[in-house]
Amino acid sequence: MNTLKIGENTFELAQIIIKDLKASENIGILKCIQCGMCTSLCPAARHTDYDPREIVKRVLDKDESLITDDIIWNCFYCYTCHSVCPVNNSACEVNQILRQKAIDNGKGKPKIAPFSAYGDSFLEYGLGAIPNDFFDHLLKDYGKEWLQLKVDLEDIREELGLGPILLPEKDVNDINKILEKTGFTKRLERVRRCKDEGNSR
Amino acid sequence: MKVKGHFSRYAPKSSIDIGVFLCKCGGNISHTVDIRRLKSSIDAKVVKEFENLCSIKCQRNIRDVILEEELDRVVIVACSPITHEKTFRNHVAPLNPYLLEMANIREQCSWVHSDMDKATEKAISLTNAAIERVKYARPLDAIVRKTKKSAAVIGGGISGITAALSIAKQGIKVHIIEEKPTVGGNMIKIGKVFSPEKLAEECALCLFNPLINEAVQHKNINIITNAELKSSQRKTGNFSLLVERRPSFVKEDKCMACGNCAEVCPVDVPNEWNEKLMFRKAIYKPFPQSVPDVYTIDEENCIKCGKCQKVCTMKAIDLEMKGEIIPLNVGSVVIATGHKGFDLEKRPEYGYCRNEDVITQMELARIMGVNGPTNGKLLKPSDGKVPRRVVMVQCAGSRDEKPGGKRYCSRVCCMVALKHANFIRRYYPETEIIICYTDMRTPGMYENYFRHVQSKEIKLIRGRPGEIVKIDDTIVVRVEDTLKGEQVEIETDMVVLSEAMEPSKGTIKVAETLNVGLTEDLFVKEKHPKIRPVTTDVEGIYVCGTAQGPKDITDSVSQANAAASKVSEIMNGGLEIEPTIAVVDNYKCDICGECVKACKYKAIYMHDERISVDPIACTGCGICISKCKNKAVEVMGQTDSQIFAMIFGLLKDKKEGERRILAFVDYIGYVAADNIGINRISYPESVRIIRIPSINRLMPKHVLFAFENGADGIFLGEYPDDIMYPDIQAKVQEIRSELLRNSIDPDRLLYYKVYAPYFRGLANKLTEFDKQVSKALDKLEPVLYKASSKDL
Amino acid sequence: MKEIPDKEILLFKSCLVNVEYPGVESSTRFLFDKLGIEYIVSERQSCCTGLGHYSDLFDQFSTAALAARNFGIARELGHKNIATLCATCYAILKKSGNILNKQDHIRDSINKILDDSGVPDLKYNLEDMDSRSNIFHAVEILYNKVDEIQDLVEVDLSEIKVAAHHACHYCKVHHKDTIGNVRDPMVMETLARACGVQTVNWYDRKTNTCGNGFRQRYMNKDLSFSITAEKLMSLKENEVDILLHMCPNCQLQFDRNQKVIGESFGTEFNIICLNVSQFLALALGADPYKVVGIQTHTVPVEPILDKIKQIIHAYEV
Ligand code: SF4
Ligand code: SF4
Ligand code: SF4
Repeated sequence: MNTLKIGENTFELAQIIIKDLKASENIGILKCIQCGMCTSLCPAARHTDYDPREIVKRVLDKDESLITDDIIWNCFYCYTCHSVCPVNNSACEVNQILRQKAIDNGKGKPKIAPFSAYGDSFLEYGLGAIPNDFFDHLLKDYGKEWLQLKVDLEDIREELGLGPILLPEKDVNDINKILEKTGFTKRLERVRRCKDEGNSR
Repeated sequence: MKVKGHFSRYAPKSSIDIGVFLCKCGGNISHTVDIRRLKSSIDAKVVKEFENLCSIKCQRNIRDVILEEELDRVVIVACSPITHEKTFRNHVAPLNPYLLEMANIREQCSWVHSDMDKATEKAISLTNAAIERVKYARPLDAIVRKTKKSAAVIGGGISGITAALSIAKQGIKVHIIEEKPTVGGNMIKIGKVFSPEKLAEECALCLFNPLINEAVQHKNINIITNAELKSSQRKTGNFSLLVERRPSFVKEDKCMACGNCAEVCPVDVPNEWNEKLMFRKAIYKPFPQSVPDVYTIDEENCIKCGKCQKVCTMKAIDLEMKGEIIPLNVGSVVIATGHKGFDLEKRPEYGYCRNEDVITQMELARIMGVNGPTNGKLLKPSDGKVPRRVVMVQCAGSRDEKPGGKRYCSRVCCMVALKHANFIRRYYPETEIIICYTDMRTPGMYENYFRHVQSKEIKLIRGRPGEIVKIDDTIVVRVEDTLKGEQVEIETDMVVLSEAMEPSKGTIKVAETLNVGLTEDLFVKEKHPKIRPVTTDVEGIYVCGTAQGPKDITDSVSQANAAASKVSEIMNGGLEIEPTIAVVDNYKCDICGECVKACKYKAIYMHDERISVDPIACTGCGICISKCKNKAVEVMGQTDSQIFAMIFGLLKDKKEGERRILAFVDYIGYVAADNIGINRISYPESVRIIRIPSINRLMPKHVLFAFENGADGIFLGEYPDDIMYPDIQAKVQEIRSELLRNSIDPDRLLYYKVYAPYFRGLANKLTEFDKQVSKALDKLEPVLYKASSKDL
Repeated sequence: MKEIPDKEILLFKSCLVNVEYPGVESSTRFLFDKLGIEYIVSERQSCCTGLGHYSDLFDQFSTAALAARNFGIARELGHKNIATLCATCYAILKKSGNILNKQDHIRDSINKILDDSGVPDLKYNLEDMDSRSNIFHAVEILYNKVDEIQDLVEVDLSEIKVAAHHACHYCKVHHKDTIGNVRDPMVMETLARACGVQTVNWYDRKTNTCGNGFRQRYMNKDLSFSITAEKLMSLKENEVDILLHMCPNCQLQFDRNQKVIGESFGTEFNIICLNVSQFLALALGADPYKVVGIQTHTVPVEPILDKIKQIIHAYEV
């Protein structure tokens, strides 16, 4: 049994989420009527134990264990829930914010460690790229032609009349400076460290 | 800015004989105010004191003095005008009642102060102010509104018919204007109505038809079908309407409704009365019990082949018939234009447009109506078979903030679903019912009905479906069973969407034509949902039924009766209205229309190239005065001179080093201030209260005048929950910037929201403000502080 | 409907288009040129961070800072109307634009960072970008020209059946700005119909996500594939030849993974994946290899080319 103690502010977690930069203006968390419309269309809910309505409920109950619960990593960020919720709530954004909280408290870092190469590529080129960790694994699914495409890419682009992919060096430097100052570079280092630890273990 | 030329301290007539009557109020006043000193300070022709001025004897005495001394004006120095002004006004005859002024030295002086000296001084200035003000009083006559004893009811559904019958029975002529070829509205289509009393369904037509027949036969009722309101003009409390009647191409007096014509008509048209589930002809009678009982040709679809004409033995058909414009002059209008079902194309995920067997509750009502497309049999539109399962989806379009959705609860759909569920379970026990709901809303006695239907074995799934699709030949409803936390796919062969109610097109159009305000959801707005129901923001126009918001038949009928009694109130009551309203000087007016735009009470309007004021709607708030660049408007009893005189009177004997604060408050503020006195709470003697109709009446010039004449602070108080509140805020802002421009410390001005029961707050605020002003003055250079009041 | 520009457009490059389906960019340029839409491409523009952002690696603040930099570049170039090739860029830029306009303290700190990073010219001024009237998906720019497109069609496609997969991050994130009803979007079908092709307007799972789910494709492959499969099955049932896309990430999911998914379900789908620009370019007579870039596709596009060719041929004879 759970006891609701007098004087306990159960809206704290909801308030933190509402104030987060990622939350839409007027996000309707507090107005959730638990109708389940989000869940009825949620792809993750269809194939796993995950339930966006329940995520919102737990937030409203100030269930902080949610942050360390693996369940939040099931969301596809497909925004389906967000686009139909009758009170303009967004389980999708709630998940994004919860995951950031998980990353901040350490538990989430290993979850995003495999994607750190994406950050490396950004710092190196100012461009995103599929993290090379996944390359082999993808190659298996995509087939050899894909490897050939990587080899021929320059030529194909030229044939299509497209210019170079890479940014001028000065711009890459600017981007590095910016990301240094926004704190991203440090954040990435911490994630990388966690990845190395994971690998060495 | 130097205020000049608005006010001279010399009264319009050099010698006005004023009589001042003082009341001791059995000690209530005289224990705190030195009556002798007060008396000796008064400059008037007659000054008399009484023990209890409000007693019958004393009142007679006042009249005698007026006659004996041939007084021109009377000032009563006693209690609050809120309690006794009416009484005293009745007793000054033969003097005009508006030539009387009261000084409130009880609630706002003796009861709130204890220092006799200071209280007396305040009483003197309150009395002075009343004397100054009364000099500018003008005789006014009560306005008697003449309203034509006739009304128009727009819409002939259950609400319109009910309202019309009630109005007609009160001896008033009523015109019902109906856009369709028959009256009856939505109620006539729904087949059954639920009865929470009998826990059963009753026949809607059987309940409604007698009312319709009564309306048809009533000598005071004139039904105009096929008609639309084209325009409306307000004229001294009446409305001139133009109604356009479309040609029906069938002569009403000749047609016997034999139906021969429809048999030969080659054109098939989806029958809207049956929710387009079947066809009718271009010449048709919407349903067997239509009123009037005649055939009509729908112009849009008729190909003018003339076949019907040939078979009509009555020669009733005239394909050349022209429409007509009917002018109506009525004293009141009732809007009963009803609702329509939600457009389900806005929720394509429910597949309403893709799947024949996904229908609305209204369509289900028609399918189950004995006079409907299947003669009352529950059959699927796709294959004419009885469904094995019917899934109902609640809140389709309602309680939904997403674009296209309706934020509100449509109020009837839970009961409609239960009604249909009960009906189906009774006659088709093999058919299962599942209702997907978020909340079942069955308030009051309706809960009994809900339980009753539950006992008939209906399955309830708590969840709002996200999608309805067809897989092979089965319809699948995707929903989360939120009580289990499980995604469910419900297989079914029929789905009924409980569609939201939304305002009908006619509602929106009629509101526009009549210049009546709508809510955010486009229903007709009531003046105040709690205490002014069925009253729209245009005086003389009322609303009832679903045109005002989603509701069931029970509520529509009570609203209709309420609207009818409002109509009869203005027609049978012979209204006498206080003359303290806006008056337009048509010589000065250049009909720019600014006042019309400003007045949210819609009391001032343009008619025949003139600005007119509706005396019932006008509250005398005075916003129009500030908007009129030509100074063509005045509010009677609140003229500039009266306001200036009052300010002048309250300040004229101000002493060196004394602080005076003028508090301008509206009616509610004044009542709250009286309550402070009644509860014997105190506030500083510096405060002197002036009653105004609204802060909107004030203009910067009044406030500047007060400062120039020695006011130290100005307090503005008004009840904020009024439609004019935004204008009040703007006004306060305007006054504040004017002060800045004149280098007057804005700390010496305060705006406060007053509420009648929260008089303690007002007392505290006045006390606080007194301190704030004192602090602001300390900062001031002495030169500015002693503003001169000499050269006016 | 919102107002859609046809000039001063910065065509916003996409990382996945760059390396996976470069034909999307060349096709879009081909169409823009044909339709007289005035646009530029900038080599200085960085990526939007989208893939990293939605893998939770990037924080919102850094994403907004990089968006501010890109907005600054667009402004400097006098091409303030952004047209993206990717739905994620579209959603990310709109969100960043809203933050920069509405959250004063965030805008101030980002501007300080741009200043300190030696790019003061790129600082963001309030209301520089209006998320609704400056940021578009390239498909919207084309949608605005649907009548002109209709007049330029050069081949007969009436035998082909297409369906559309409207990207979630176009439709659902900023759903109030989406053209048409997000619950049954029709932008791509409308464009396709203008080329005389048959469209399947509704199919089960039409508004489903592609299943990529950012991290899910890499970390929970089975989960990801079961969702992609749902849609592929429904498309197969509807006998769809081509699935139209507006986002390289979705296209990647359906094109590159189609074979493996089919194998695990013991079936072959053979549903060709084309970005709507690629499809329109083909309809307007563009070269399949030199403009449309079909050589980078995994599900071969050639079978459809044969159909088109035949038709033209029949025409000429
Ligand atoms: S988040 Fe929205 S859709 Fe989901 S349960 Fe709450 S109110 Fe319903
Ligand atoms: S965004 Fe996440 S929670 Fe929302 S529907 Fe998609 S997968 Fe489910
Ligand atoms: S503002 Fe004055 S001048 Fe203008 S219409 Fe009103 S009364 Fe007439």
